[in-house]
Amino acid sequence: MSLLELNGITKLFGKLAALQDIDLKVEEGEVLSIVGPNGSGKTTLINIISGYYRPTRGAIFFDGEKVSGLRPDQIASRGIVRTFQSNVLFEGATVLESMIIGSFLQYKTNDWQSILEFKAYKDDHERVVGKVIELLKTYDIFNDIFLPAAGLSHGYQRMLGITMALIANPKVLLLDEPTTGMNHEEAMFVVENIKKISEQGVTVVLIEHNMKVVLNIATRVVVLNFGNKIADGKPEEVMNKQEVIEAYLGTETI
Amino acid sequence: MMLGRYYIDYKSMLPKAVAGALVVLLAVIPVITTNMVTLSIFISSGIWAIAVMGFTLILRTGQFSMGQAAFMAIGGYVSAILTVKLGIPFWPSFLAAGVFSGLIALVIGVIVLGSGGIYFSIITIAFGEIVRIVALNWETVTRGATGILTLPPPPITIRNFEINFATSVVPYYYFMFLLVIMAGLVFWQIDRTRIGGTFRSVAANPMLSEHLGVHLMKYRVIAFTIAGVFTGLAGAYYVSFLSVITPLMFDLWKSIQIMMMSIVGGISSIVGGAIVGAFALYTLGNYLSRLPIFNIQYLLFGAAVVLVVLFLPKGTGLVDLWGKFWHKVFREPDEYEMPEEADMAVE
Repeated sequence: MSLLELNGITKLFGKLAALQDIDLKVEEGEVLSIVGPNGSGKTTLINIISGYYRPTRGAIFFDGEKVSGLRPDQIASRGIVRTFQSNVLFEGATVLESMIIGSFLQYKTNDWQSILEFKAYKDDHERVVGKVIELLKTYDIFNDIFLPAAGLSHGYQRMLGITMALIANPKVLLLDEPTTGMNHEEAMFVVENIKKISEQGVTVVLIEHNMKVVLNIATRVVVLNFGNKIADGKPEEVMNKQEVIEAYLGTETI
Repeated sequence: MMLGRYYIDYKSMLPKAVAGALVVLLAVIPVITTNMVTLSIFISSGIWAIAVMGFTLILRTGQFSMGQAAFMAIGGYVSAILTVKLGIPFWPSFLAAGVFSGLIALVIGVIVLGSGGIYFSIITIAFGEIVRIVALNWETVTRGATGILTLPPPPITIRNFEINFATSVVPYYYFMFLLVIMAGLVFWQIDRTRIGGTFRSVAANPMLSEHLGVHLMKYRVIAFTIAGVFTGLAGAYYVSFLSVITPLMFDLWKSIQIMMMSIVGGISSIVGGAIVGAFALYTLGNYLSRLPIFNIQYLLFGAAVVLVVLFLPKGTGLVDLWGKFWHKVFREPDEYEMPEEADMAVE
C-alpha cells in the first residue's frame, strides 16, 4: 500500500475543472515532482491534499486512512505538511520566534500544562527550542535567528518556510515551488537541503518549474496539463515523451 | 498589525519591586482618602479594566469584538435577577453570572468565529443590540427600561469586625482590588505562556498557523469564552456597586469605550494596558462630564483618544510610555532566555 493515495480527485471551480480524475500514488521515501505549465492544476492539487480545498469528487488516503474532508490542521497533525508558493511568515516575528511559534505539533504537552507551567511543559519547551536550533543549523539558516524573518533574503525566507514545515514532524512534505524566483546558487542551496530532508526519511512531493532542479532531485515525475495527468514515470523517460514536450512547447502546426 | 511581542520568555518591563510598590500603594488608597467620588472612580476603573483585559485577549486572536458591554449586561442581569427575584445569595449569583456569560460567549463564538474578521465585528455589534433590546422589552424578567434595583453583597463578619457593603464603598474597593488581581493573574499567565503565542500566531497569519496544525476556531473560541466569563463577572459586580441595572447602561457606546480603553492603554501588555487605559479614560470621561457645556465631553474625549492613537500608534498606547522610560533610564537590554550553545553560535 502506498503512503499517500489519491483516487479520482476532481476539483471544479464553477464549471471549470481545475483537476480531472487524478489518480496518484506516492510511495514512502520518494521525491515526487509534479510539473506542468501554468494553470495546469499543480497548486490546486497541493491545496486539496493539504485540506485547504475540498475535492469535488474523489478521496485521499494517507497510511490507509481517509483524510479528504478533514481540516488543514487535522491533516497537518497526521503528518502531511505543506509550504506555500509565496513567502508566508508570521508578521513581526524573528526567525527563532517564527520557528518556536510554528512548533505547535512538536510540543507533547497540552495548553493546560503550559498555562500552569508544569515541569513537564518546561522540559518540553526546552526540548522544542533545542530541536528548533538543531533544524536551523542543519538547514543552514542559523546565523540570523534574532533578525526579523521578513528581513531575510528571498532564498533564506523560503528555506525558513520549509524548516517551519519540518518542525511539524511531517511524514510527507508538500513543497509548492520551493525555488521560484531564485538564481542558480540560491536554487542549489534549496536543492541540497531538500536532498537532506529526503535522506531523513521524509517523503517529498514538490511542484517545480525549474527542470534542472527536477532532474537533480526527483525520483519520479508526474506531469499535469489542463487538470489531467498526462505522464508519470522516471524523470528522463517523462521528459522525452511527445505529449509532455507538446504541453510545454505547443504542437507543430505547419 | 503587530499584536505585541511573541511569547518567548522575556523579562517584564515592570520589575517586581516596582510592581509590588504599586500594589501596596493601591491597597492603601482607602486609608489615604475615604472620598466617595475618588474611590468610586477607582472601583469603576478597576471593573472596566477587567472587561478591557477580555477585549485585548480577543484582539490577540485578531478579532475585534464590538459587543463586550453586552456580556457585562448579561452578567449584571443574571446576578440581579438571581438575587432580587429568586432570592439566591449574592456570591453564588455572582459566580453564576460569570458562568452564564461564558456559556453565551461559547455559543456565539462557535456560531460566528468560523468566519471571523469584519463579519465577527458586525455580528458582535448586532449581538450587543439584541441583548439591549431583549432587556428593554422582556419586562416580566428585566423590568424593561425601569431596570432592576440590585442588592449589595451581604455583610461579612470576621470575629468582631464587620465588612458591610451597604454602608461604605471601602469593601467594594477591596473586593474590586482582589478581582482585578485575580483576573490579571489569569490573563497574564495565559498571555505569556504558549497559548498566548498560539493566539498571536492565529492573528498574525491564520493560513500558516492552520497548516502548521492549529485549529483556528478552537483558539478563537477559547479567547472569546474566557473574555466572556470575566466580563460577565465584572458586569455583575458593577451593577451591585451601582445598585441598579438598566438596558441603557451597557449599550454600543460602552462597547466602543472598552475598545478605546484597550487601544489607549496599549495592547503590548494585556494587564497593564487594560488597567492604565481603563483608569485614564474612565477618569477623563468622569471629569469631562462635569463640564458645564452640553455634550462637550464627547468632543474632548474623542480628541484625547485621537491624540493618543496618533502619537502612540499601532496599539503601543500609554503603557509603552513607561516601557520607553524604563528602557531609557536603566537601559535594560531585551533578554531572551536561550540555551548557551545558541549564544555562542551567534557570536
